[in-house]
Amino acid sequence: MTLSRRRFLQMTGSGALAGALGWPALSMAQNGQGTPIGMQASWVNDAEFLGYIVARHKGFYADQGLSLDYRSGGPDVIPEGALLSNRAEIALTTVESTLKAVTQQGAPLVIIGAQYQKNPAGIVSLASNPIEKPEDLVGKVLAVPPVNRLAVEAMLEANGISPDDVRIVPYAYDPTPLLKGEIDASLDFVTNVPYTIGLQGEKAVSFLLYDHGFPVFNDTVVVTRDTLETRRDDLVAWLRASRQGWQENFKDPAYYPPLFADSFFQGNGRSIENEIFFNQAQKSLIESPNGIFSMAEADIERCLTALERIGIQASRDNFDTSLLEEIAA
Amino acid sequence: MRDRRQRTTIAIGWLALLLLWEVAGRLHWVADGALPSPSGVLRQLVEDWGDYPPHIWATVRTSLIGFLVGNAVAVLCGFLMASWRPVGRLLSGINVTLFAMPPIALTPILVIAFDGDAPRIVLAALATYYPTMVATVLGLTRIDSRLLDVVRLYGGGRWAALRWVRLRHALPTLLAGLRVAAPNAVLGSLLAEFGSGSGAGLGHYLIGSLGRGDPERLWGIGLVATAISALFYVAILLVARCWVGAQAPAQESLGSQGDAARGAGTQWLITLVAVVLPLLAWWAAVWGLEQAGVSSFVLRTPADLAAELFSSTRPESLASIIGGALLETLPWCLAGMALGLGFALLLAILGTLSPVLERVLMPLSLLSQSMPLVALTPLIVLIFGRDGATILAITISVTFFPAYVTLAQGMALVPEATQDCVRVLGGSRLKQVRLVSLPWSLPYLCAAARLVAPRAFLGVMIAEWLATGTGIGNLLNVARGSLDYGLVWAVVVAAVLVSVLLYLMVTVIEQRVLKRFAMTPVQ
Repeated sequence: MTLSRRRFLQMTGSGALAGALGWPALSMAQNGQGTPIGMQASWVNDAEFLGYIVARHKGFYADQGLSLDYRSGGPDVIPEGALLSNRAEIALTTVESTLKAVTQQGAPLVIIGAQYQKNPAGIVSLASNPIEKPEDLVGKVLAVPPVNRLAVEAMLEANGISPDDVRIVPYAYDPTPLLKGEIDASLDFVTNVPYTIGLQGEKAVSFLLYDHGFPVFNDTVVVTRDTLETRRDDLVAWLRASRQGWQENFKDPAYYPPLFADSFFQGNGRSIENEIFFNQAQKSLIESPNGIFSMAEADIERCLTALERIGIQASRDNFDTSLLEEIAA
Repeated sequence: MRDRRQRTTIAIGWLALLLLWEVAGRLHWVADGALPSPSGVLRQLVEDWGDYPPHIWATVRTSLIGFLVGNAVAVLCGFLMASWRPVGRLLSGINVTLFAMPPIALTPILVIAFDGDAPRIVLAALATYYPTMVATVLGLTRIDSRLLDVVRLYGGGRWAALRWVRLRHALPTLLAGLRVAAPNAVLGSLLAEFGSGSGAGLGHYLIGSLGRGDPERLWGIGLVATAISALFYVAILLVARCWVGAQAPAQESLGSQGDAARGAGTQWLITLVAVVLPLLAWWAAVWGLEQAGVSSFVLRTPADLAAELFSSTRPESLASIIGGALLETLPWCLAGMALGLGFALLLAILGTLSPVLERVLMPLSLLSQSMPLVALTPLIVLIFGRDGATILAITISVTFFPAYVTLAQGMALVPEATQDCVRVLGGSRLKQVRLVSLPWSLPYLCAAARLVAPRAFLGVMIAEWLATGTGIGNLLNVARGSLDYGLVWAVVVAAVLVSVLLYLMVTVIEQRVLKRFAMTPVQ
């Protein structure tokens, strides 16, 4: 009997050591055959990225000749950083950060698709102290993750509110201060926090920045100019397989989360019911009549106008829709 | 008899504290229920237990590897420094930098530079280095010189002295250093987990759980992290007991080993190299990363950064952004440092007046050191708000413990005879403290200030990052979020530099003060 290399590594335990030292070659090998392609997610493992996990599970990437090397994100992970340090080919990003880096610092990045047609970031508050529109924020304490501060200020300005009229404090993704009334509202994904707030016996109200003066995409699919040139076919294949994965996932948003309870979601600190809630809530924000990842001209236009308001002078050239056109054909 | 009664009192004290905590948690006395009761934390821990094993394993694995790597380097450096004195002087720049730099400022760079588990291992190793290095040097050099004379008399050379005296003497001190380093490694690994984006680890679990608004879960994770630190500590304590048994720790050196006389020119040269070495290390690291394929977009060499600092291509120059943020941060840092020291001094005095009280409060203060602050933020902002009070509270909590340990050590060493002098003349305990303990522990107060200076800066940065959204702590976060790598590097370098300067400033003051009273600094 011959031992395969991987089996040998598992037996000797040096697989764990290799992983500890961060040798990427081994983690890629785990997904079987196919051209390895790395994607950097923008947050920890939750339903936000379920489409890709479903696609991998159903073999959609393998059908396209790809093997997905999925990298989880987290609060300190800058997804674009993974592209610039050659750790991944594709990153899901916050559009304003990406385009700010492109226009103000010359980062060689380009957007080839958008997971969220409508950014799920919204202002969440309690029904007992409701903030239902931007004007309600005046004189209130609003907790915002530093990453999203620009977006919030843009929303305020679009509604004729000076950012000085709202007390903005850091938000560390813990809704406790909101539940205890220490802050009046927080900026968070409306696909997620309202569930937690419901569990604590309160009701949440929310509105999207998207609907109030900041109509931008989110989880934009970003690659470097270099990757776009050298691995275009793989990127198209990735978009096709990922779109398939999301379509499969949305056939029944409650079906897949329990399936990955002991793998993808394991130990992420939340319940599967929470992920199902998330998956249901994000359906209408991701789906588009032109197909998932679509970037319609009118939407790009609106996105650019919104970004211009916060001093980001991006242009249509920063978006490349030709790959999406290929998979539509 | 007396010992036993004291133990009972301490046990009763602990029980009373636990009970008070339980009642406060149950009745929502503190911060409208944001402080969970111990039974609630325990219940949640049992309920979640299925989630824990992979996270615990990941944290233990990375901190253990980091601990081993960091110690190997530290022992090697310590050995070199003890063997050839100039090495110590040459490395002093790097040593002070490693000691003073705020770990949260380093994570963004580590995450850019390394992949997978590596950032956690590196941060754990960095956190381990300093205490072990100091312990190695002390262990190898602070030796009863009569023992060395014995070796010499029998014709032994340098190596014989090393083998028969120095190494044997170094072991207990080294093990004491390792004991301090072990919990550091766990905290280092945990801190880097926030950024490494890896799927397992207690830090990762903590981040995932933040969104649940469930203090019981957060406290549970914090307690498990604390337990791991404590286990590391106890494991090394046991090893120490087995290996060196009741052997006394290293003695104070008899007869000082003054610096060999050198020309002023050589002294200057050594100092210059000591300052330049950290810069060279930075340069080499960036060069290595570029060779490894990391885009130069995310990297900055010292020269790049210097040029960018004053470049006018930005709406506001980096130098002025950083300067403004530092102006906001520094006053709080100095105030927090003074208060942290004051609080530690108060505790140390209370400890000498009532040893029982000290031992009752000890576990509580230990807990406050290993609980990740992210988990406590909601509680802290609910109690102290989002302004100066929170900054000071967090800074005190970050600084008081090491200061307190140092001061308590100093007060414990006051010679009985001097104390008796006051007692015999009818002086009260308080008078004893005022006339003897306090002046006696002045060198320890100075050493505590030295320890605390960089930590105070770290504390203010954490508070700004988590609670107030001001100053340099906030800037670090904003820079990361907006992918402004020039600003990230500028903030990191500024934070390290300020920490080092604070340390040096306190060292200079210490030397002046102690010289005035004819005392010597404590290591």
